Amino acid sequence: MLRGADILLRCLRAEGVDLVFGYPGGAIMPLYDALEGSGVRHILTRHEQGAVFAAEGYARATGKTGVAIATSGPGATNLITGIADAKMDSVPLVCITGQVRSALIGSDAFQETDVFGMTLSLTKWNRLVKSLEEIPEAIAQAFYWARSGRPGPVVLDFPVDFLKASMDFKGPATFKPHPESAPASELTFETTLIALLQQAKKPVALVGAGAKLSGASKDLQELLDVLKVPAFATVHGLGAVKQESPYYLGMVGMHGTRAANMALHDTDLLMVFGARLDDRVTGDPSRFAPNAKIVHFEIDPSQLDRVRTCELPVIGNLAETIPAFLNEVRHAHLPNWREWREETCSADRAEPPLSGPAQPTRRFLDELFHRLPKNSTIVTDVGQHQMWSAQRYRKNAERGFITSGGLGSMGFALPAAVGVQLAKPTEKVLCVSGDGGFQMNIQELATVHRLGLPIKMVIIDNKYLGMVRQWQQLFYDRNYAETDLSDNPDFVAIGRAYKIRSFAVNEEELQPETLSDETVKRLNDFLSSPEPELLVFECHPEANVYPMVPAGAALSEMVFEEE
Amino acid sequence: MQVFHIRYRNTQGTLMRILGAVSRRGLDLPFVQAEPEQHAHAVTILLDVNAKQVGQLYRDWRAVVDVVDVRAGAPIADWDHSTFNTPHPPTSVGGDNAAQAARA
Repeated sequence: MLRGADILLRCLRAEGVDLVFGYPGGAIMPLYDALEGSGVRHILTRHEQGAVFAAEGYARATGKTGVAIATSGPGATNLITGIADAKMDSVPLVCITGQVRSALIGSDAFQETDVFGMTLSLTKWNRLVKSLEEIPEAIAQAFYWARSGRPGPVVLDFPVDFLKASMDFKGPATFKPHPESAPASELTFETTLIALLQQAKKPVALVGAGAKLSGASKDLQELLDVLKVPAFATVHGLGAVKQESPYYLGMVGMHGTRAANMALHDTDLLMVFGARLDDRVTGDPSRFAPNAKIVHFEIDPSQLDRVRTCELPVIGNLAETIPAFLNEVRHAHLPNWREWREETCSADRAEPPLSGPAQPTRRFLDELFHRLPKNSTIVTDVGQHQMWSAQRYRKNAERGFITSGGLGSMGFALPAAVGVQLAKPTEKVLCVSGDGGFQMNIQELATVHRLGLPIKMVIIDNKYLGMVRQWQQLFYDRNYAETDLSDNPDFVAIGRAYKIRSFAVNEEELQPETLSDETVKRLNDFLSSPEPELLVFECHPEANVYPMVPAGAALSEMVFEEE
Repeated sequence: MQVFHIRYRNTQGTLMRILGAVSRRGLDLPFVQAEPEQHAHAVTILLDVNAKQVGQLYRDWRAVVDVVDVRAGAPIADWDHSTFNTPHPPTSVGGDNAAQAARA
């Protein structure tokens, strides 16, 4: 006879789970009681939001399913932002929540919330487990839906009495979906797509997260090397295309490169590989790629035609559809788009020389990124530093740039970096946050210290809620309402209070063309230290991220560095 | 106005997910009827939607795990709103018994 909690952990092990993130409480206590000897390592964070972001970081870094555990009521509600984050960015996540005793459900009991109802719109699938016997099947189904098709979050809510009760355990369950539930795969597109390519004068390729999630980056690179069409990436697609590819134009979208945005605006055939055409990428949807036919390679049919009707949907996993397409392309007679490629890379589409108040920060990021080893991972929070980091990212590691894109959750980076470092214990993890976002999960410094995780944490401290301040400057007549963070605490002192080596660098040190030996040594020591480190970079308070496509503008209407 | 007929396996929350796809778009639900149908369940929904919303809803519903089939009927030009849109009577109507009980 085994307790429900023991059965749950055995089923997690059967799904390949050996690491979970969580925070205990009353309704989930039986599960914590069963942890010892279960083979599942539990990482205690200091807030449930930290646990779910850490589980996300782990999943984003590995492609495995992250697991976060919380108690009922406020524990469960603290997971909500992370669940929404995982849904937007297609992260496979299983959240396990305790629930009050089954007889009390619906009575507004202590620490009772309707987690099932709350997470319906944020999950691929969820379940309030209603019996002990259901546990193996619920776990099997949860992991199936989290991983299959477009990955995403699921929630399992366990009344505490089922975790405490015992039964004869016959072994983990397996789950097979109904045949009609399996994602459709349409591989009959080849002739039409080749015909579209043969007619196109200005084709381009947009690469999104799906290229990485599907494991199809290598095939995609080969396809792009054959096609030689201008290509660019969303923020989640960074690293999927080799940066040094001669046709690669960088990141596209609101803060994308001029070359990428102009090419996307001018194209007559847009091939989308695993991107959902989010409004940060399209700009004004009514003026998005006005002359283009769209071919959309996508695993999730609900993402098709959101912005505009595509001429040719190619529904399926990129791991299957790209090789099929590549095979056809190899045998097809296609135009040579050399003139178009040259146009997209012409001098008048190059980035303007970098200058202005943001230059020291960009330089600082360049100096750090340049010193990182090849297989490092950069994790960013949300805001100006995120965009500067994405713009300066030059590595080719497939899962090397991790950020909260679709939901844009501040506070993401520090706990996510915990998950990433645990997933990649021998690799360098650089965590870049702003002064606003870092404070939202600052308590996870305790997690970093307890585990001795050698994360290199950077705070870009401009003493403002920077991205909001930028919009207030540009669109609200500099009315800096409630974005002033000039009374920030001493982050260096806080880092040291958490027993983490901490120091500050100011932007004057990044002004000279050649950095001083002292600055170089400090940066090198910071990055090479085997311990966790915190570096606070004090920068100009009113630096802005450029280029920028203002809200409601077309991609061709970028604004560059102000005069 | 348009009628949608969705077949689904009546697993936990599936009907709520189907209705959630409507409610998240701020659409009114003048008519909903769910009932067993053959080996599954079916829900009939009447909505006032444009062509773009039809496409969005269709795709959202198909993405729900236990939805089996989605069909849309032809748009209904002359829908009699009065049948289902009569205002609810005020709470005081028929409330005498409740009021008496409260004073007891």
